[in-house]
Amino acid sequence: MKLELHLAEELGSHLADGAKAVAFRMVRIDPYVGMQAEIVLDFTGVRHGNSSFVNGLLTGLLEEHGEALLDRMTFRGCNPVLKVLIEGAIALGIQKHDLRATA
Amino acid sequence: MRLVVPPVINAAGLIPFLALLGSVPAVEAEITLDFSSLRRVSPAGLVALAAMVKHWQGQHFHRVQFEGIPLCPILGYLQRMDLLRVCDVSSPEDFECHPSHGRFVPVQPITDVDMMSKDVAACLAPGGDDFEHPASPLYDLAAYVIGELGANARQHSRGTGYVAAQVNKGEAMVRIAVADNGHGIRQSFVDAGLAWSHGLSDSASIRKALEPRVSSKGEPVNQGVGLTLVTGLARHTQAWVLIVSGTGIVQIDPDGQVKERNLPPGCIYHGTLVTLTFLHSKLRDFYTLLDAVKQEAGLLAKRPIRTRFT
Repeated sequence: MKLELHLAEELGSHLADGAKAVAFRMVRIDPYVGMQAEIVLDFTGVRHGNSSFVNGLLTGLLEEHGEALLDRMTFRGCNPVLKVLIEGAIALGIQKHDLRATA
Repeated sequence: MRLVVPPVINAAGLIPFLALLGSVPAVEAEITLDFSSLRRVSPAGLVALAAMVKHWQGQHFHRVQFEGIPLCPILGYLQRMDLLRVCDVSSPEDFECHPSHGRFVPVQPITDVDMMSKDVAACLAPGGDDFEHPASPLYDLAAYVIGELGANARQHSRGTGYVAAQVNKGEAMVRIAVADNGHGIRQSFVDAGLAWSHGLSDSASIRKALEPRVSSKGEPVNQGVGLTLVTGLARHTQAWVLIVSGTGIVQIDPDGQVKERNLPPGCIYHGTLVTLTFLHSKLRDFYTLLDAVKQEAGLLAKRPIRTRFT
């Protein structure tokens, strides 16, 4: 099973609103993670994003499911800035996941 | 209470102006703003004024009057920057509207942050949405800063936020300002029940908000890195930063020095103002800049992570 989400089509080319990202994640991603789906987040057409948005989209996911989730995730069509933001959000999520595990 | 808007509201004139706005007692019924002497005002002065006027207008016991508008030497500029329209002041405009692209962003309330970040970036850096265009670094920086500050104003302030910006081609500077008329940074920490915030001054609260992973909103909506990264970007580009919230003032100079002070006793700015001045000559590839700022803030992984990009 594969979940493929085209962010530009669903949310637009400029993604700056963290609250919107969390709402999107809860409705469009969270329900599929438990179904062991392969998840493709397609950023083609997204010109700009910021930390609030990308953290809202990804940090909670990684915090909950840990680094193993990355085996099932692909990030497509990212410009260099989005790559930095995605790496940062993932790092933060993994760090929080690890802290949870040791708490 | 009669407030004579001072002739110059930029640089050194901004703090005295905020103190003047902040001197109005909460119980004051009649507020008159006299614009007849105003000759120069920065985007920060415009958004602070708009936010405060809207705050007063929203409190039903205040009556706000505008005087000296026809005498104001920069009436055309105030009209072009939409200050009067935002403040519900009608004033006939007898000029031809030229496109604002590459020059300025009029005062506007913050509603849709995504759209605003796109529009402001396109306005300040026409053509910069193309990565190969020379305006691309400014486009990305503006979109990032506006997105983060706009989201802060919307999510945390419990008030309305306003944005304005201006490109000064002569000085090769870009000024971006966001102000809201909410409850201020310190109160947002207190309201969030953060134990460490009790007893914190307004200026100490601003300093705290600059630290990574400090947020009044809490997860999952917010990871508390917005203001950290915005000020990090400012430091890496040797920009000027001024943050005013409540009675507190924090200023970051181009050399990275952070100065903390307060508005004069009895004065309080009802909300938060953040203004940044960037020099065109200091801007560079935004990807490199953001990566450096994130590294410095400890927000990137310290070991390789197997992220799959295609």
